[in-house]
Amino acid sequence: MKSLYKRLILDTATKSIYVALYLGDEELQVRFQEGLNDHSVTLLPMLEEMLKTIHWKLEDLDEVYIGIGPGSYTGVRIGVSVAKMIGFMHPIDIYTVSSLFLLASSSDSSEIVSFIDARRNNAFMAYYKQNNHVLTEVIGDCLENIDTFLSKVSPLATVIKQGCPKGYKVFTSHMGQKVSELHDLVPNYLQITEAERKKG
Amino acid sequence: MLVMGVETSCDESSVSIVKDGKLVLSNIVLSQIDIHQAYGGVVPEIASREHVKGITRVFDQALKKANVTLDDIDLIAVTEGPGLIGSLLIGINAAKTVALDRQIPIVGVHHIAGHIYANHISNELEFPCLALVVSGGHTELILMKEHMDFRKLGETQDDAVGEAYDKIARVLHLPYPGGPQVDYLASLGMDKYHFPRPLIDSPDYNFSFSGLKSHVINLHHNLMQRAEEFEVADFCRSFQEAVTDILVHKTKKAAKEYQVKQIIVAGGVAANKGLRKKMKEWIQDIPVFFPAMEYCTDNAAMIAVAGYHQYQKNPTSSNMMLNGNSRLNLE
Repeated sequence: MKSLYKRLILDTATKSIYVALYLGDEELQVRFQEGLNDHSVTLLPMLEEMLKTIHWKLEDLDEVYIGIGPGSYTGVRIGVSVAKMIGFMHPIDIYTVSSLFLLASSSDSSEIVSFIDARRNNAFMAYYKQNNHVLTEVIGDCLENIDTFLSKVSPLATVIKQGCPKGYKVFTSHMGQKVSELHDLVPNYLQITEAERKKG
Repeated sequence: MLVMGVETSCDESSVSIVKDGKLVLSNIVLSQIDIHQAYGGVVPEIASREHVKGITRVFDQALKKANVTLDDIDLIAVTEGPGLIGSLLIGINAAKTVALDRQIPIVGVHHIAGHIYANHISNELEFPCLALVVSGGHTELILMKEHMDFRKLGETQDDAVGEAYDKIARVLHLPYPGGPQVDYLASLGMDKYHFPRPLIDSPDYNFSFSGLKSHVINLHHNLMQRAEEFEVADFCRSFQEAVTDILVHKTKKAAKEYQVKQIIVAGGVAANKGLRKKMKEWIQDIPVFFPAMEYCTDNAAMIAVAGYHQYQKNPTSSNMMLNGNSRLNLE
């Protein structure tokens, strides 16, 4: 039965928007928009149009997979708020996914470093190995100096900074973490705010 | 018609259910004031983080308190701006998700229109109407000839009046938020210092509080340097008298010029007791209204009420492409 689950995957944690509708492991609809930086305007009309195309409603969904960062780009909160509201309105299972994993899924290389710039020579990064479309996490999400991180991984690893995720790999790699208390769901910022840091 | 209001423009996450633009069935406000207190002001990134954390709980409580379900909601109204952009976007996208799910219209409401319509909850607006909008971000005189029609007659050229209150409070080491503290202490003190009243006799309806604020801060600094004793309450009273003299004088003048039927005061500083008293005392020939205390500060009920009137006036204003606008214009 599981292969017939109606699934939504959503990621707005970076400057791109990724929305995909799956029936089991089959991709029915996908949108990937890069660089326009208008998540707040675009996301819901995009989702509405995609659902209409295949005659689905939000309430038909069985599972929502939401990219939760890392990072504190404003966009991450847009996607997470939308996923929380869907889970609040309907008894749908919500799963969190690392946005670095989604980024990595766009590549078919056997070794992948996914990379979101965090400025001042730092980046949010994770390191995966891939075999037969299944990704295994070697180093999980972290915020680190770029050179320090790269010194820990194979020089043959492909560094991925952008690309349209291949959503089915979330399922084949079992990378979704089921949310137990929806109200408490927040993005994975991985760092405290500057104000908190200064306050000590 | 049941309207769901959503407000997340600054440091309060609020959802409200209002019937026919008038009857408030619920108005849940999740305030972050205790969190920002430690920083002496609102930290935008922390505000955004708190909104996303609390958003579904506020929706949940608002529906439960009103004893309705989302199926009963006919329209959703959400603050479009002005405000902190990261905060605005959370309310807007949560509201859009409801609109998509229930296939109901959604309207974006100007935050100040909301504050003005907070007065409509306990009192019927009559036009032409003059609104004095006073808060931490705004000091404006607005003329309304009909529902949802706003003409700005004048505004502050520098600090908003609530901002000046908060800065004075900080210098006097009063706890955050300082406005209510200054108001309370003013009631215990005397106008000993006779601070200047900038622009009080200017021919326009603009305001300026930056010079007055600096004057007060400099005097405080000098007194401290000379180790002279002074009463904080007298400082607060002198400042408050100067501010309220300017606000009330200009409001009265505009009300006469435009022959308004009523004056309403809106925004967080509408809770100021000194301002309330002076408005009533100085202006007796035109009715003056203030929102109930609970609707002075940011809340979603006022957004639902304004959204109701906006939708009545323009039913095609529903817009899923709605975006947050930190500098949205009211006119």
